[in-house]
Amino acid sequence: MSFGIRFRFSRDATLKYIAHLDMLRLFERTLRRSGLPVAHSQGFNPRMKLVFGLPMAMGLTSGSEYADVELEREVAPDLFLQTMNRSLPQGMKILAAVPVATNENIMLRIGAARYWVLFRSERQISADEMQDLLQRLIDAESVPVMKKGKKGLHEVNVRPLVFSAAVAKVDGEWLLEAFLSAGANDNLRPDLFMEAWQHLVSRTFQIRAMHREELYASMDNEWVEPTDPRACGVPVS
Amino acid sequence: MKIELDDAMLLSVEKPARYTGNELNMVRKDPEAVQVRYAFCFPDTYEVGMSHLGMKILYHVLNLREDTYCERVFAPWTDMAEKMRAENIPLFSLETCTPLREFDLVGFTLQYEMSYTNILDMLDMGGIPVLSSERGDSDPFVMAGGPCAVNPEPLADFIDLFVIGEGEEVIGELVDAHVAWKKSGASREAYLESVCAIEGVYVPSFYAPSHQEDGTLLSIVPNRACAPASIRRRIVKDLDAVPFPENIIVPFTQTVHDRIMLELFRGCIRGCRFCQAGIIYRPVRERSVKNLTGIATRSICQTGYEEVSLMSLSTSDYSGLSELTDALLKVTDDQKVSLALPSLRVDNFSLNLMERVSKVRKSGLTFAPEAGSQRLRDVINKGVTDEDLIQSVCLAVAGGWSSVKLYFMLGLPTETMEDVEAIANLAFRVVDTCRGMADGSVFRGMKISLSAATFVPKPFTPFQWEPQDTMAQMQQKQQFLREKLRQISRRVELSWHDNETSFLEAVLARGDRRLGKVILDAWRGGCRFDSWREHFRYSVWMKAMADNGLDPAFYANRRRPVEEVLPWDHIDMGVTRAFLTSELEKATQAELTRNCANGCMGCGAASYGAGICPKTPR
Repeated sequence: MSFGIRFRFSRDATLKYIAHLDMLRLFERTLRRSGLPVAHSQGFNPRMKLVFGLPMAMGLTSGSEYADVELEREVAPDLFLQTMNRSLPQGMKILAAVPVATNENIMLRIGAARYWVLFRSERQISADEMQDLLQRLIDAESVPVMKKGKKGLHEVNVRPLVFSAAVAKVDGEWLLEAFLSAGANDNLRPDLFMEAWQHLVSRTFQIRAMHREELYASMDNEWVEPTDPRACGVPVS
Repeated sequence: MKIELDDAMLLSVEKPARYTGNELNMVRKDPEAVQVRYAFCFPDTYEVGMSHLGMKILYHVLNLREDTYCERVFAPWTDMAEKMRAENIPLFSLETCTPLREFDLVGFTLQYEMSYTNILDMLDMGGIPVLSSERGDSDPFVMAGGPCAVNPEPLADFIDLFVIGEGEEVIGELVDAHVAWKKSGASREAYLESVCAIEGVYVPSFYAPSHQEDGTLLSIVPNRACAPASIRRRIVKDLDAVPFPENIIVPFTQTVHDRIMLELFRGCIRGCRFCQAGIIYRPVRERSVKNLTGIATRSICQTGYEEVSLMSLSTSDYSGLSELTDALLKVTDDQKVSLALPSLRVDNFSLNLMERVSKVRKSGLTFAPEAGSQRLRDVINKGVTDEDLIQSVCLAVAGGWSSVKLYFMLGLPTETMEDVEAIANLAFRVVDTCRGMADGSVFRGMKISLSAATFVPKPFTPFQWEPQDTMAQMQQKQQFLREKLRQISRRVELSWHDNETSFLEAVLARGDRRLGKVILDAWRGGCRFDSWREHFRYSVWMKAMADNGLDPAFYANRRRPVEEVLPWDHIDMGVTRAFLTSELEKATQAELTRNCANGCMGCGAASYGAGICPKTPR
């Protein structure tokens, strides 16, 4: 009888240049070092049963990533968390671990993400002016941008993928907080959001840092943390 | 000074994780709390350098010392190098982002000749004068070691001191000497004088070469009393007695050899006459099964790597191979880790071993007959027959392996077109064997590839006096081989080496000190990453040769009389010149020399009194 654990982890700036496939390998190696009884797929080339909620873009830091791992036998989530944290490289940390009872792929459950983007403007812009620029995006019916997909460049309208956005000045730089559609289907990366916005308002911004603050699962018409018992298929007592 | 890189820069280059360090098992120390800061420099990209076992060993050995902090430095790829130059960012170490010029000792490993311009580029980017003669009191000492250091002369203008032989044996003494020198407050030269007395250390500025009118060497002699006339290679006598890295750095981005490398032994009992490694690492010294099993077990636990690979020049020659693989497979099966067995020889290939290993993973098999005809294989002392190869291929196909790679060399001494044709004929027999052994559908899925490398004569081999084929001769042979292969089978995928690269490699491998100016000019002319096809600029190299009045053919294509003074004659590898000349003589007669395990042939390596030598009667 296998046992699922869903865990939340963070990635700080020292490790933000790791590509998604390398993240996968990093976690596989960490799990092997940890000695935890990870379940493997059958067959000639057994793989660990490990699924991530959403790939992390290069350059992105995060306080809230999620993954599901299947173990061969029950391990207390707290013990899992401590064991993993002893094995992870500096810069990456497990923040929470809960039992997961659903077979549903976590990737399909993720629906939104909250980001912070620190940026500079090429031209001096007042706070009011910046608010107006953002309002133009919010008021727009359509915000088209060219997106690189599997079949090359194609135009997408990102406006429906923006749930909310706010901007403020912090220490001489601009800080955008954006709540964007995320997940296997309608994913909007913050860098693409920035590109679309710059294009719409004809301004040039330089992104200084991007951070994913939280990922959300959609549950009964409500955004919940993916470790919420309802999202994990665990009966709520 | 700590270099800070901004996001915009890192996000604009390929694979930024090459430049950001912080990998698992990276050594963290307080640079202020150590006496000696050592920069281990690999003159190629991160992915290539991080695949190198020698670096892992020296990094480990140096960092075991409390008074020393060894950090890593790689050549930034051209996109990054351009941006660093544009923004005046000096080349820095991955551990602490310290500019190269702030280190005490800067050590390069010389793995292949085509990395030489990268050394100059790294020094320059790191803020260190590229010429030894221009370095002052505030500059680090620049040292180099590794296989290409057996002929240090082409790099003599750039390197303050060379280590001849195995680094972990000598490096501690160089660090000790640096600690003592720093305390003494003596001149820069005093350090070099103190280390030139250490066995295995070569300080090129203390030696003066003189040439005859025809360009050949008259002599290379010391120009001061402290320098020994001959520099003897250092070796580790007992591999089980020295530390081996277990908690190796695990890169975040995929490297060329991204796995645990388990070094079974150094040296090789076979005396293939073209092979430099087979001579310069003598005598064969093995690690014990017990030690290796322990290393592998602990290393898996400390790295989490999914693959362990056995490393040696010829894995099947390890005396305890069966016992070792039994022990390792217990560990790897249990941890769901795969075991890779490269360098298995064609002649003593074991079906049993292959079967047991393929339980875990089946990858392609490589066979290296090196030459197509029996005569030429005897010339190079590769004691293998056609039947050996065919039998091995049968076993491989029966064992379910679906990819076969054949390695040959073109341009070996005495080679004729008949020998080249024999390569095609042998390849055809392999294809035929596969067709006969495998089901139709399996056969159609099989991949049979043939690599025809260009022979490059190397120092300290019996062929060190031999000319390399000219590029025109090589082209003719490659063309001929391609034609022949096309006539007999379309199943073989043929690849060969770039002739211009092989030619330059031959020039640099057996070059003298005069080539320093050529390397400098080539680098100034924009050459770097010469081993990368897309960056190799042959014409710039040839112009640099001509500008300095040198003829590349003098180095590459000339048969050197055995009496000639060679640029590396003052380096003592343990193997004697007399042995090499007798091997050359036997080669011309196509006469075989037995391997070390079957009896000592008196090559000279026994003078080290280590490894296989004391156990083998003459």
